[in-house]
Amino acid sequence: MNRKDRERLLARGVPGTCGDFETAGISRRSLLRAGGLGMLGLTLPGLLRAEETAALAAPQVKAKSVIFLFQFGGPSHVDTFDMKPGAPAEIRGPHKPIKSVVPGLPVSEHLPRMAKQMDRICLVRSMHHTMKNHNSAAYYALTGHAPPRDDQRLRDSLSLYPAYGSVVDKVAPLKSELPTFVSYPHVISDGSVTPGQRASFLGKAHDPFFIAEDPNSKNFKLPELSLPAGLSFERLQRRREMQKLIDSQSRLLEYSASAKGLDDYYKKALEMLSSTRVRDAFDISREPEAVRESYGRHTYGQGCLLARRLVEAGVRFVTVYFDATIGGRSATSGGWDTHGFDNTRMFPIIEKRHLPITEQTLPTLLDDLDDRGLLDDTLVVWMGEFGRTPKINANKSRDHWPQCYSALLAGGGVKGGYVHGASDSTGAYPSRDPVRPDDLAATVFQLMGIDPATEVYDTQDRPLVIAEGEAITELIA
Amino acid sequence: MRSQILFLLLGVMWGWSQPGGASLRGADAGAVDFSSDVMAVLSKAGCNQGTCHGNRSGKGGFKLSLRGQDPAFDYRALTRGPRGRRIDRVIPEKSLILLKPAAEVSHEGGRRFRAGDAPFEILRNWIRSGAPGPDSRSAKLERLEVSPGKELEVLVDPVAELQVRVHAVFSDGTRKDVSEFAVYEPVGDTVEVSSRGLVRRSAFGESTVLVRYLGRQEPVRVAFVPSGKGYEWRGPLEKNFIDKAIFGKLKRLRLNSSVVCDDTVFLRRATLDLAGRLPTSDEARAFISAAGPGKRARKIDELLATAGFADFWALKWGDLLRNEEKVLDRKGVQVFQRWIRESIASGKPLDVFAREILTARGSTYRNPPANYLRANRDVLQRAENTAQVFLGVRLACAKCHNHPFERWTQDDYYGWAALFSRVRYKVFENKRRDGLDKNAFVGEQVVWIAREGELKDPRDGKRVAPLLLGTKTGSPGEKDDPLEFLADWVTSRGNPFFSRSLANRIWFNLMGKGLVDPVDDFRATNPSSHPELLGRLARELEEGGFELRKVIRLIMNSSAYQLSSVPVDSNGKVETGFARVLPRRLDAEQLVDGLAQVIGVSPSFNGYPRGIRAVQLPGTNAILPRYKKPSSADVFLKLFGKPDRMLTCECERMSQTHLAQAFHLVSGPMLHDMISSGDNRLGVLADSGLDELELVSELYWSALGRPPSEIETASARRLFSSAGGGRAALEDLAWALVNSKEFLLRR
Repeated sequence: MNRKDRERLLARGVPGTCGDFETAGISRRSLLRAGGLGMLGLTLPGLLRAEETAALAAPQVKAKSVIFLFQFGGPSHVDTFDMKPGAPAEIRGPHKPIKSVVPGLPVSEHLPRMAKQMDRICLVRSMHHTMKNHNSAAYYALTGHAPPRDDQRLRDSLSLYPAYGSVVDKVAPLKSELPTFVSYPHVISDGSVTPGQRASFLGKAHDPFFIAEDPNSKNFKLPELSLPAGLSFERLQRRREMQKLIDSQSRLLEYSASAKGLDDYYKKALEMLSSTRVRDAFDISREPEAVRESYGRHTYGQGCLLARRLVEAGVRFVTVYFDATIGGRSATSGGWDTHGFDNTRMFPIIEKRHLPITEQTLPTLLDDLDDRGLLDDTLVVWMGEFGRTPKINANKSRDHWPQCYSALLAGGGVKGGYVHGASDSTGAYPSRDPVRPDDLAATVFQLMGIDPATEVYDTQDRPLVIAEGEAITELIA
Repeated sequence: MRSQILFLLLGVMWGWSQPGGASLRGADAGAVDFSSDVMAVLSKAGCNQGTCHGNRSGKGGFKLSLRGQDPAFDYRALTRGPRGRRIDRVIPEKSLILLKPAAEVSHEGGRRFRAGDAPFEILRNWIRSGAPGPDSRSAKLERLEVSPGKELEVLVDPVAELQVRVHAVFSDGTRKDVSEFAVYEPVGDTVEVSSRGLVRRSAFGESTVLVRYLGRQEPVRVAFVPSGKGYEWRGPLEKNFIDKAIFGKLKRLRLNSSVVCDDTVFLRRATLDLAGRLPTSDEARAFISAAGPGKRARKIDELLATAGFADFWALKWGDLLRNEEKVLDRKGVQVFQRWIRESIASGKPLDVFAREILTARGSTYRNPPANYLRANRDVLQRAENTAQVFLGVRLACAKCHNHPFERWTQDDYYGWAALFSRVRYKVFENKRRDGLDKNAFVGEQVVWIAREGELKDPRDGKRVAPLLLGTKTGSPGEKDDPLEFLADWVTSRGNPFFSRSLANRIWFNLMGKGLVDPVDDFRATNPSSHPELLGRLARELEEGGFELRKVIRLIMNSSAYQLSSVPVDSNGKVETGFARVLPRRLDAEQLVDGLAQVIGVSPSFNGYPRGIRAVQLPGTNAILPRYKKPSSADVFLKLFGKPDRMLTCECERMSQTHLAQAFHLVSGPMLHDMISSGDNRLGVLADSGLDELELVSELYWSALGRPPSEIETASARRLFSSAGGGRAALEDLAWALVNSKEFLLRR
């Protein structure tokens, strides 16, 4: 291999291979290694000394919690928050921009309530990558790591990276009976299940506390937190007492770490089953009717309301999926993938479904968080896996466009009324400060007080940093 | 790699000696050599680590080769750089490569050393002398002499430290103490190592410290053991060479082994390990009351001959060979599983088994082992997976980069991969249900080897010559079928990997931890805990005609296999050495089958008739969850770690415990439905006319293979009186039994 090739490779990794894995190594960041101090056998004074010496306090916690609103299918950036009224008709589309409270930051005319709240929003207009398939692109958005290939067939496996929330659960878990990471109400898939929704190689212990039930349904409750019919809590206690007696006979709890570990989980499960704090957090029926109405009586709206309840209780990472599918062909269900296939048309669909839902939920959520004093330390992220083609297609709709799209951040330590990066005159490519999902991931971790260079280990014991990108310091307040 | 150098860092921060102390070649002005002195400093200060400037895209615009594998590259990076500011030949102290690591200007990586420290002086002197580049005439590092050497160093409490000394020997004959400049990396988490190579115990046990200097690396093996005061070996009899090796090592570690377990524990352990199920209450009673020596050996033979043995060990191979429905389809999965199971049942030698898998061609329906190649549809996947399954070698790292200190290079990787490049599939018709799901194949396929088909090296786009792993000349001839050629080599006597890797897998399945651990990660820097024993087992395997059962018999008849899990003396403080059996959770399938057996209900699995046991399930998802809601037992299996069979790695079967599992046992649907089901065994028992004592006893024998103790009987009777009624009490007792650690764990 000649030098030029080597440099090219070193700079970019072999195309289509596992570039991330080259980051094996040791550094000051090992201090913040995942798995906690216990695994290293470090004493606390030792660690404090280490941190002090390295002048390396973890980043300040600006976002205690994150609400990640994932817009599966890919919302059009040029029809929402990055409109191009000066572009030719085949680009600018039928919708008009309106002024928002932030000078020079117009939004779609279909988002008038959003327009009044843009002073809370930190808008990144220069998101970009090259993944054109939903599964690869969504995996990128949900993990911050470039997928090994741009392929609809990308299958969820332990060789891929974990979801943000699972990383948080691994490196900065809550020390309470509440789960650290909650996700709902769909498992998203396009052909096969989209990777990046769970803990992958971090282990099932770090999977999200996943809710498959519809928060909009009348009988919404969590099976985990409810005892089956015919089993009272008293009876369960009786069983537990007998279990404890048998355990005491085998003495396993005295000498086996596995036995102790298992028993701790029994304890925690019983605690959660009997905890009113946990049950209340998930009990959306305690919300006043007016509040429930304000979020919209649909699955996603009630999901956003539940997210607020959860962060209020202390949950650190909540992921709400807009829809289970990429959708785009219906005004009543499905995600943002509006190609205009089968004689459907994008604009009537988003006018009826996607924009009104966004207009109803996002400002309501931000208001609600702010009213309760939660917005300052709750980061809200609203984004899809890519944007849509600036040029309108033959079906009067737009196709996939990862080369440039927008992401919205709010609260949790980001600047409000701020735009980071810019797209070119047609919204086709970033013209300033391009941002990769890797950088956004690093920013989110940094805001949560987690060093983006923290290492975790995959199934082959390779040390991998949780975010390869650089945190975008400009947008941090 | 699991535990890396915290203390390297600490050492870097405060541990440098002043110049004039232990100085390196050329700490004096004018004699600094780039390739040895400067490169050593860059490694020692951590500059070229993967998370710093050794990152593939560098950091802060400055990139070094990963761990200093390319001095010429690093020289260019240091000397040409942003307008030459990294090196200031006029005022060396103004050089960024001094200011940054000394934290005199802002440095994201923090302070690596201080002005005046040895590394600072070395870099300054190097710049002062004109920053000369790598000199082909300068002496090359020939080897490292590390003390202690290759032998395991045993240190008995209260000794809790060991100073490692490192000497570098150069081609000009010079020999230097480089202890201060070597990099130390502990493997595992039982020791910490300072920047100067002082190894400190953080827990008792055996550990390896990797010592690196320039381009060389040597492992140091060290064991810190609890006090051996009045130590006297009191372990059980040595029954064969396995005990000799295991106990011999324990004696060196001044540890005792636990005693041999009782019959109850043995029967449960052996039945789980061989047949993947629990002994029934009748089996347990009969075994305990049977008299005479040799009953354990007879039980092992008996279990090895059961259908359950073939079921359970076929399950393990099904995991490794990626027998799953999406790619192989339901029929493919069934024929492949049947073939694996039949191979095990009939005692097919493992080399023949491997050969048939690697060379299978033709219809994936009519020639089941062809499903291995069908499952691994990408050339690199075939190469990596075959090395991992059959050779115990993980190649994935070498796909992207030469690991500076490991054996496998990118050339090895792509040469090996090229052997697999001519595999082709004829897909007659793909009747997949979801056209968008491009992973799915439904229908017969034919696997064949094309005449042409080369692998292009992604680094330079040139054709790669196929080459057997780790050989210089192992290329197939023009007319050879590359996979026949490969299979001949893999299964040949004397292949350095195959028999050792298989022996290690068998050991792992019975003993819970490989002699090389992880089980598929053989490399110089991951040495075996008992290399001679592993070699001997591999030889037994080869000489015994690769018969799986022979090796299993050897292991299970040893005292080492039959040890109790209860610690004696100080061996409870140590997890290494096989001094006692470490309890571990039952596999997902063992749990579901065990619950079904004790409670007397067959759970349902999607796509299968009721009555099939979990260990007999051929694949992973007969029906995808989106087409039919998984049954509670399907959910339970996944939750307890049944692998999706996407990886050829034992690690995919997760044995960890977590909260969701506890919920499933406490309030989840599967166990609750089983226990409260009207026609289960509890109902039969309740109506059987047995008295309370007999009922309690029967449940204990079923679940735990032993009678209840007095106190357990008393408590159970209290349960009967408070539960108000036989049936409810039986349910509560059954729940408590199957949720006891004794039930959930194999001990």
